[in-house]
Amino acid sequence: MPSPACAEERTTPGPAASTRRSTNIPGLREAEPGRAAPAARALLRRRRVQLLLVGAFLAWSIAASDVSPGALVAPEALHGLGRLLRGMVPPDVSLGFLGVVAVAVGRTLAIGIAGTALAVLLAVPLGILATPRLFRPGALAAGRGPWAVVLFAAHLAARATLRVFRAVPDLLWALLFVVAVGLGPRAGALALGVSYAGVLGRVFADLLEDVEPSAAEALVASGGRRASLVLFALVPQALPGLVSYGLYSLECAIRSASVLGFVGAGGIGQEIQLSMRLFEYRQVSTLLLALLGLMLAGEAASRLLRRATRSVRVTGRPPLTGRGRKLVTLATLVAVVLSFRATELLGSADDGLLARMGRFAAQLFPPDLSLSFLAALREPLLQTLAVAGAGTLLGMVLAAALAPLASAGLMLRRPGAPGRPGVLDLLARLLHVTARSSLAVLRAIPELLWVLLCIVAVGFGPFAGVLALGLHTAGVLGRLWAEALDEAPADPVEVLEAAGASAPVWSLWGAWPQARPLVASYGLLRWEFNLRVSALVGFLGGGGLGLRLYNAIQLGFYDQVSTTVLLILGLVMLSDAVSDAVRRSWLAPATLRRDTARPVDSSLALQAGGLAA
Amino acid sequence: MSFSLHGVRRSFDGRAGRVAALDGVSLDVAPGERLVVLGPSGAGKTTLFGVLNTTLRPTEGTVRFEGRDVSRLSQRALRATRRRIGTVFQQPRLVPSLTARQNALLGRVGHWSFANAVRAWVRPSPEDLERVDAALGAVGLLHRAAARGDELSGGEQQRVAIARVLVQEPTAVLADEPFSSLDPSLRESMSELLGVAAAGRTLVAVMHDVDFALRHFPRVVGLAAGRVLFDVPAAQVTPEMLAALYPREAPERRQVPEREWADAFACVR
Repeated sequence: MPSPACAEERTTPGPAASTRRSTNIPGLREAEPGRAAPAARALLRRRRVQLLLVGAFLAWSIAASDVSPGALVAPEALHGLGRLLRGMVPPDVSLGFLGVVAVAVGRTLAIGIAGTALAVLLAVPLGILATPRLFRPGALAAGRGPWAVVLFAAHLAARATLRVFRAVPDLLWALLFVVAVGLGPRAGALALGVSYAGVLGRVFADLLEDVEPSAAEALVASGGRRASLVLFALVPQALPGLVSYGLYSLECAIRSASVLGFVGAGGIGQEIQLSMRLFEYRQVSTLLLALLGLMLAGEAASRLLRRATRSVRVTGRPPLTGRGRKLVTLATLVAVVLSFRATELLGSADDGLLARMGRFAAQLFPPDLSLSFLAALREPLLQTLAVAGAGTLLGMVLAAALAPLASAGLMLRRPGAPGRPGVLDLLARLLHVTARSSLAVLRAIPELLWVLLCIVAVGFGPFAGVLALGLHTAGVLGRLWAEALDEAPADPVEVLEAAGASAPVWSLWGAWPQARPLVASYGLLRWEFNLRVSALVGFLGGGGLGLRLYNAIQLGFYDQVSTTVLLILGLVMLSDAVSDAVRRSWLAPATLRRDTARPVDSSLALQAGGLAA
Repeated sequence: MSFSLHGVRRSFDGRAGRVAALDGVSLDVAPGERLVVLGPSGAGKTTLFGVLNTTLRPTEGTVRFEGRDVSRLSQRALRATRRRIGTVFQQPRLVPSLTARQNALLGRVGHWSFANAVRAWVRPSPEDLERVDAALGAVGLLHRAAARGDELSGGEQQRVAIARVLVQEPTAVLADEPFSSLDPSLRESMSELLGVAAAGRTLVAVMHDVDFALRHFPRVVGLAAGRVLFDVPAAQVTPEMLAALYPREAPERRQVPEREWADAFACVR
């Protein structure tokens, strides 16, 4: 789910794209006499108010989520943690259990592949329906009369559906599908399919909207019908883009798949959850190592792929021809079919899957909108907000401490650089390696697993949620921030080096001012993402709405489930709006990737960038 | 001697095997001397420049600055050396999100410990601020001090770059094609500014524009294929020397595409 590697898709804004805003760096800012225009002063004042609001929100978050650092060093916490760690060595490497691990890893891969394939299948019809150019009144080849009205209504419905698909976090989809179709990988694949269809459908609609119109116009001029227009003029041009985008999201989907198991949707997450419940900590550590390997392998593979295809636009046709192309197509088809079978979406006896899903959906209506229930949701809602705020803050603080150490430019001496190497270089390298591997471990363990570990230390409650979010966020942000520092344009930095600046000094004055917009943008995206997660950590004992959801599902109060889901949906959409506003007033619009989809609404940008997916 | 190079060789591993960018260069520059290096593209001028400002380690030979062998210095001593050498690059290379004043202040980075750098971020020391204001005044940019680096015009940016060198207070100034990204009308006034920046200091410039170089520098070094072709007072430079330096093409014609490139870059930035 949280996938820093996928986030590499976000391009670094170059110096040209860096934000153009009046300076707001302390020091040196004392206004030139008569220089500060009233408009600039108003802007500064507005910024100050915004900063104050953010500060107040964070302070409230800390207060409201029972943050108590003392609980971490209390004797019982240390005792619990010590028992856990002692229990984890040595990892369980008995043949029987390794078999279990292998099956779990295979299932995880299958869930990811089947989910992505399902998403592509769903995205094609929904994406076509959601293309404004085809169905907006007066659009290309739009018909007249009642039929056109019906189609326009379907168009609006498709857009709304896609929005809901991607706004509901994939974990929540998994939770709902587990209830609807039972425990196991099938729920996971369905959840990923729906959640990613929301993203891919929107991407497909955007591609269709942007396709070169001349072929379509020629068809319209020759009196072609809408169906032929879509089939012959638009889809063939947009489909390669959709497929390559789908391949890109595959990596993110596999990451998600390893986490969905924590709510019972199969794969390695489910095994970890099970071993944890059984206090089989040795098994937990084996599974953790497998998870770490899976994630690092995925990251490395995607880095390799990205490096190999850096100059190729994502929406472009992959440069494969002839037999190579056929082979890849065949292998993909085989993998998809196998994955569908492994996740029981294909080939298993028909056990009334659709009927069961329909029954569950029917039970969700009508939502429980009674005042008493709504009032009961107030506190967990606030707690969810607070956990997300405080968790993100904790993550940022830890990441700010680790990111400079993880920056290669700052810590590592370039080979062949002048000057005698010293002991300090060795020490710096050691620190660098330590920081990078700590970050890798922090982000390889998903939030939901961190919750389980933190509960051992500090007990149930929102503080465990804060710690879990914070630790994982630190791992992701630390790496992204280190990369942002390392990718700062080198020209000004070299000037400072030539003037005799030490590495820490040129990092502060040369790299940091250039990396700042990207650093802020990553932080904001993580907050948005953490809001989605914090709504669910409660499911495992981290407080907030998740706990409500858990209770309602256990007790079968499905009308309450749907109210809670709607609330989470609203929360996510609200956070999208808030961070869009912040981004518009503070950050460069160019911080979002340009060459895939246009930066549409932020939940799409979030998932497209892979920070959510 | 300010700079003293002896048998300096520097090779790079390229696609076509090892290429020597500098092939046994020896050069002595006295304190306060003004010297220009001429040469066609690929003559090794930029490599020489990197060796002189001690950011590039020579493969062979010794480089001395003010009597000390640079290759034997610790990193700390090397930084101390670098802060005594001011550099004006072909492009101004300002930090785009910092103000003109902050960019000029960056001349002090070599003098700062990390603690000082942090303090300067919050509030620069009064002495540093005084230096900055004096330097910005000298280049005539005090009125633009609060503008961001990327809001300045190309000429203004290059003036900030010169102010940055003034603030650094080096004993020697290196200039790599400092005016090639500027409008011809600006070149004369900029060269005056560079003269101000280098007053009482050693000045080594790398240049394409032969006429300009001969008019402004008393000593001329011709560099071709990594070797010193001639090293004479400006008055003794003959057309034959220049013809040997720029075979086939006249120097004026050579420089045209080069300048267009530089201008194109200036726009991109």
